[in-house]
Amino acid sequence: MDYLQISNLPIIWFLCSFTVIIAALQAVLFIRAANKATKECQIDPEIPKKAFRVGLVTAIGPALGVFIVMVGLMSAIGGPMSWLRLSIIGAAPTELAAATNGATAAGVTLGGEGYTLQIMAVSWFAMALNGAGWLLLTGVATPSLEKLRDKLSGGDTHWLGVMSAACSIGVFGYLNVNSIISKGFLNGGPVINMGNLVAVVSGALCMMALGRWVVPKHPKLAEYSLGIAMLFGIACALILA
Amino acid sequence: MENNNYMSTWKKSCIRIGSPTNILAAFTAFIPVLYLCNKFDCWPETSLILSAWALTAIAFGAFYIVEPIAYYASLGMAGTYLSFLSGNIGNMRMPCASLALDVTESEPGTIQAEVVSTMAICGSIITNLIATTAAAFVGTAIVAILPQAINDGLKLYASAAIFGATFGNYALKKPKIAVFGALIPIVCKLIGTLPAWLTIVLSVFGTVLIARLMFNAEQKKKA
Repeated sequence: MDYLQISNLPIIWFLCSFTVIIAALQAVLFIRAANKATKECQIDPEIPKKAFRVGLVTAIGPALGVFIVMVGLMSAIGGPMSWLRLSIIGAAPTELAAATNGATAAGVTLGGEGYTLQIMAVSWFAMALNGAGWLLLTGVATPSLEKLRDKLSGGDTHWLGVMSAACSIGVFGYLNVNSIISKGFLNGGPVINMGNLVAVVSGALCMMALGRWVVPKHPKLAEYSLGIAMLFGIACALILA
Repeated sequence: MENNNYMSTWKKSCIRIGSPTNILAAFTAFIPVLYLCNKFDCWPETSLILSAWALTAIAFGAFYIVEPIAYYASLGMAGTYLSFLSGNIGNMRMPCASLALDVTESEPGTIQAEVVSTMAICGSIITNLIATTAAAFVGTAIVAILPQAINDGLKLYASAAIFGATFGNYALKKPKIAVFGALIPIVCKLIGTLPAWLTIVLSVFGTVLIARLMFNAEQKKKA
């Protein structure tokens, strides 16, 4: 058997399922906790339902992206490992980088000549070790992050709202620009990814237009606005770039 | 309302659920590779594993610390556990949580906001698990019959489009902060040689700092 056949054995699927099940189980436990909080604090039961629906629906677009990327990843690291890795922390490029580093450390290329079972094991270790970084840090240090947020907000709820928004704006500003500008002046650039530029700008403009003119008249559409804006951004990128 | 009293109960139950599951998943993720090495007697040399780990940690190590801190104010406690176990934070968890907070008009820092972002993130996790599980079983067959354009569009542009749309949503509500939120990373990336983690730190905390200055100025005007 070659390494890819072994990586697709039924037993590997089974062993990978433990971690996927933990991710699902955690979500179920948090749903239960949220339902309990809804009851105890007399929150309108429609509100969490609506929120759940927003998550379920808004994630469809990006999840389809994950779906297609995963099919590509399966040919590189096998089905079960792709399933495990893309069900938890670490997006496809991160996992590919870790798997490739496993091959690089052994002086071969991922899936290329000399990529033996032993080297595949190095790739698998590298992915698991990398994911463990985020999991252990948040598993252990999240209560300290809460304290940090409390300190930064100083108990002022008005400022806390502004701060949360500013954090998100900073995060998404970074994510957007990072997907557009791939090289800057000091490393031989600037190199602009035109497709992503079109997707970002048209997605943003569509969302702003929906928020300003459409959603106030049709409030039901609010739940689907991100999904609509995303599809619009993808379509524009395909047509214009 | 008794909501504020419930907040500490809520946080305790978040830690009780989130901490063991995240730590456990870090370990169960090793089960397949341990089986592989054991069953096929293909244990690699430890030095190989360490050097592969080192290569990976150079690229991502700073993110282990920077990302949880930078995303915490938006994700909250339950959201942090959920998002850092299930991943896809920028392209799924945060957009879903922020839209849900918006649609339900929930104020940050309240128990309702915690419940709403938790439920939205859980909903998105269910969708994601369905997608990855479907991909595992029927993915290859489906991708083969999809038109190339749909394939490319979703693969290449889905993330950028939802990043842009989420930013647009904030830009509508906080246009002044959004200008700086875009300018800081543009400057960092145009320079080109700053490490990614530093660009995230400057983008997030720079934007928060500017928001604070604007907030202070507004408070002064009011007073």
